[in-house]
Amino acid sequence: MSWIFWDYLLPCLCAFLACVGFTLAYNIHGAGKLICGVGGALGWLVYLLAGETVLAAFLAAAVIGTYSELMARVRRCPVTGYLLVALLPLVPGGGIYYAMSYCVAGDIQRFLHTLLHTFGVAAALAVGAMLASSLFRTVYAHWYLHGRKG
Amino acid sequence: MDYDRLLNIAAELGCRLMFSGAEIYRVEESMIRLLRAYHLESPEVFAIPSCIIVSVTTPAGHPITKMRRIPSHGTDIEQLERHNGLCRSLCAETPPLEEVQARLDALEKPAHQFFSWQVLLGYGVAPAFFTPLFGGGVRDALCALIGGLGVGACLLYGRRLIGANTFFRTAVCSAVGSLISLLLVRLGLGRSVDIVTISVLMVLVPGVALTNAMREIMAGDTISGLSRTADAILVAAAIALGSAVGFSISRIL
Repeated sequence: MSWIFWDYLLPCLCAFLACVGFTLAYNIHGAGKLICGVGGALGWLVYLLAGETVLAAFLAAAVIGTYSELMARVRRCPVTGYLLVALLPLVPGGGIYYAMSYCVAGDIQRFLHTLLHTFGVAAALAVGAMLASSLFRTVYAHWYLHGRKG
Repeated sequence: MDYDRLLNIAAELGCRLMFSGAEIYRVEESMIRLLRAYHLESPEVFAIPSCIIVSVTTPAGHPITKMRRIPSHGTDIEQLERHNGLCRSLCAETPPLEEVQARLDALEKPAHQFFSWQVLLGYGVAPAFFTPLFGGGVRDALCALIGGLGVGACLLYGRRLIGANTFFRTAVCSAVGSLISLLLVRLGLGRSVDIVTISVLMVLVPGVALTNAMREIMAGDTISGLSRTADAILVAAAIALGSAVGFSISRIL
């Protein structure tokens, strides 16, 4: 069973700790730290399970979006902080770096390929998070109004 | 009711919200709700990342307008949450303006602020734990920790030396980060230059700016979204430029 630990649990733990590290930079205190960390770990788990592709990034961002909206409702706080920090591990920093290094080396073909892929991942993240948020808000408002009537 | 004072208070609240990194729609909606709560019929608020314009017509038919310029700022979620909470309670209770002013003044100084060494620690810890996600080992993580601390120190303490220009600051920090990681790998501490450099540069990557930009475009604030997108692309270009400079310096060494 040790592969579960090495392949899934350890990376998620790292994502958790990295996100907690980032909360220090954005001045998030108290329970918000834990929420951000768990969000990052959750997003990374989905990303790993879905196969580390652009679609996986989209799914992970959608899960993070739903989770952050839920936590914002529970804590009655703006969703901004949770969403931004939890998305950070998924941000394609590697893409930017490799694109830069190909560009410096003069390898235009691979530079453009990497650059476009990076933009794809970034757009997938944003659309995923946004879509989940909008959907959550619609469903929540619907459900909330119904709850009041009934 | 003193509408001039109310307008000043609303503009100050919006300014603080924007300054702590709130989205445009949150700033606009908070200000409109506050002004409506004080029985102003149709307050008009227009906000872009660098400026807020708010205009109201008093019941006597007299129009008042105020504009606030927003200087460049970071993200401070604690302040955002507190001001958001204040706006909520003000809309619900509508206390007299003197009390509103007092409560707003009380929030000006953040109650909880991390010490700078704690923030620096955060900048070090985050890259260290990013390395395993990119496939690095324990020694790479150690390199990333040192590199992250270097970049964090540049960001926190180097303002007087580097200046406040975001593009230049990011480029310098990225050069420092890539140089440190290259040197550490060359000294034999780390194994993979790529993984260590990527982890270190993750602190600078404009993930926050890009996500915010996309969210604003989708929320319908196209101008703000585009200006934030341009911002994010500039920062990404600065990172690429800085790390390229770092590489060339280490090639000479």
